[in-house]
Amino acid sequence: MQSVSELAHGFARAILGDADGTLLESIRGDGLEPAARLAIYRNHVFTTLTAALGATYPVVCRLVDERFFAYAADRYIREHPPAAPCLVEYGETFADFLAAFPPCRELAYLPDVARLEWAINRAFHAPAAAAIEPALLREIPACDLAGLVLALDPSAAFLDSPWPVDRIWRANQPDADPEATVDLDTGGARLEIRRLDGDVVFRALDGGTWAFRAALARGRRLEDAAGAGRAADSAFDLAHAVRGLLDDALVVGRRAPTFPMEEP
Amino acid sequence: MNLAADHAAPRPALAGIGLRSPHVGEVMATRPSVGFLEVHAENYMAGGPALASLERLRADYPVSVHAVGLSLGGPDELDARHLARLKSLVDRIEPVLVSEHLAWSVAGGVYFNHLLPLPYDKASLDVVCRRVTRVQEMLGRTILVENPSLYLRFRRSTIPEGEFLAALVERTGCGLLLDVNNVYVSCRNFGEDPAAYLDAIDPATVGEVHLAGHAENEADGRTILIDDHGSPVAEPVWQLHARMLERLGPVPTLVEWDTSLPALDVLLAEAAKAGRLLEAAGRRTQDAVRV
Repeated sequence: MQSVSELAHGFARAILGDADGTLLESIRGDGLEPAARLAIYRNHVFTTLTAALGATYPVVCRLVDERFFAYAADRYIREHPPAAPCLVEYGETFADFLAAFPPCRELAYLPDVARLEWAINRAFHAPAAAAIEPALLREIPACDLAGLVLALDPSAAFLDSPWPVDRIWRANQPDADPEATVDLDTGGARLEIRRLDGDVVFRALDGGTWAFRAALARGRRLEDAAGAGRAADSAFDLAHAVRGLLDDALVVGRRAPTFPMEEP
Repeated sequence: MNLAADHAAPRPALAGIGLRSPHVGEVMATRPSVGFLEVHAENYMAGGPALASLERLRADYPVSVHAVGLSLGGPDELDARHLARLKSLVDRIEPVLVSEHLAWSVAGGVYFNHLLPLPYDKASLDVVCRRVTRVQEMLGRTILVENPSLYLRFRRSTIPEGEFLAALVERTGCGLLLDVNNVYVSCRNFGEDPAAYLDAIDPATVGEVHLAGHAENEADGRTILIDDHGSPVAEPVWQLHARMLERLGPVPTLVEWDTSLPALDVLLAEAAKAGRLLEAAGRRTQDAVRV
């Protein structure tokens, strides 16, 4: 007889794909086909996980309609089932999946809308961290400043898209004007997403500020982040940018540098 | 750790509600009268505002932490990170009760987030006992284990569910979270008698009761009850619960509602109904003591 463990692995394969004969033989019919009993569990699993994805990606769901969303979710769940126990942490790779999903090829902006929704979900659940007192930065010797690595608010994320994803998102909120349309040719968005006073908010940043803050969020040294800011905008001013960070209460501490070679 | 805890020891026996995120704001704002709040552990493990709200609520209400993802009966060993996050939550919230399920949800690193059935035989019992002991050692307290709602049975099962749970209690010192709706659903799905199931339960092992609604579905011309937590508690379940209370005396009782979540008032009214049954059971117990 197969072990308890083999039985469960067979069950798991049957949830995500097809039931093999050994598993079906291990189930008592009790008046129904074993496959029909198994299907009850499969339905529950897919209903729960599809609902979890729908809760994280409501705008994607609205853009493609619920039926197509359920179809895409079904494929995603089979290919990328949850690898951790907390449902709010499920679905991080959904945007990449959509980008490679042939039926979505026409909707080039859809993966970035999903990235924005993931950043919103992540920001909502991120741990709280208090901003540092600005005076603490002044105590750091000038010679150490260039190599400093700042830790930003853990809820903060930075998204760069060639599509107006912020306007697409707002036009697809429940309270939005249903007649409003978004012109996809109106340019992209460089967004900062974070939680403020319990609510997740996002806003567009200018190119230099976005590049600077996004580099800091990736663990770059202050000097390198300033370089990223200048590369995006020749008028970028470091002192002004650091004041902006402190004014926005974005800095929560310092951390060890992340070496550039780790960048994906 | 005292593993011989008497799970029916005297304690405030009140009716509570399963707290779901759409209701958190209203509960925070209005602080309704309810005996206790039970939350799904996994919804609070990320930290953030959800945990902050729960920390504020625990000042005003007893809180019960109901884990749904440890996979006590699964093929994978317990997830050490998950267990550590549960411990950190329990240490922070200091819940009155901690519970899990007689089920599994993880296999080969896939987290199905659903309570899947296990065969009831000696090999399974050994696995579940080892895991429950490990969880209790990690948390430094006993837990309650809930009977699942079942839609299939395995040929290799040799131990009736009630006996399986009784053996688990005996070997680990854990208590039972008796879900009366699950008893009704499982027994109806297999043509068994839910009253007989309940009559065989040792009241001293029951630390909490769950009540919830279920749905009736058709499958190949057969009626299958589905434990969807999407409606009021069904009348036959209330009747079984009242019958069980005759033997249990007052015990913390939770009303759960997950799908088609109603207004908070509707859920509170269900809990109030459970509370009235508990008060009546409490009076009977006092009368019995006086005699």
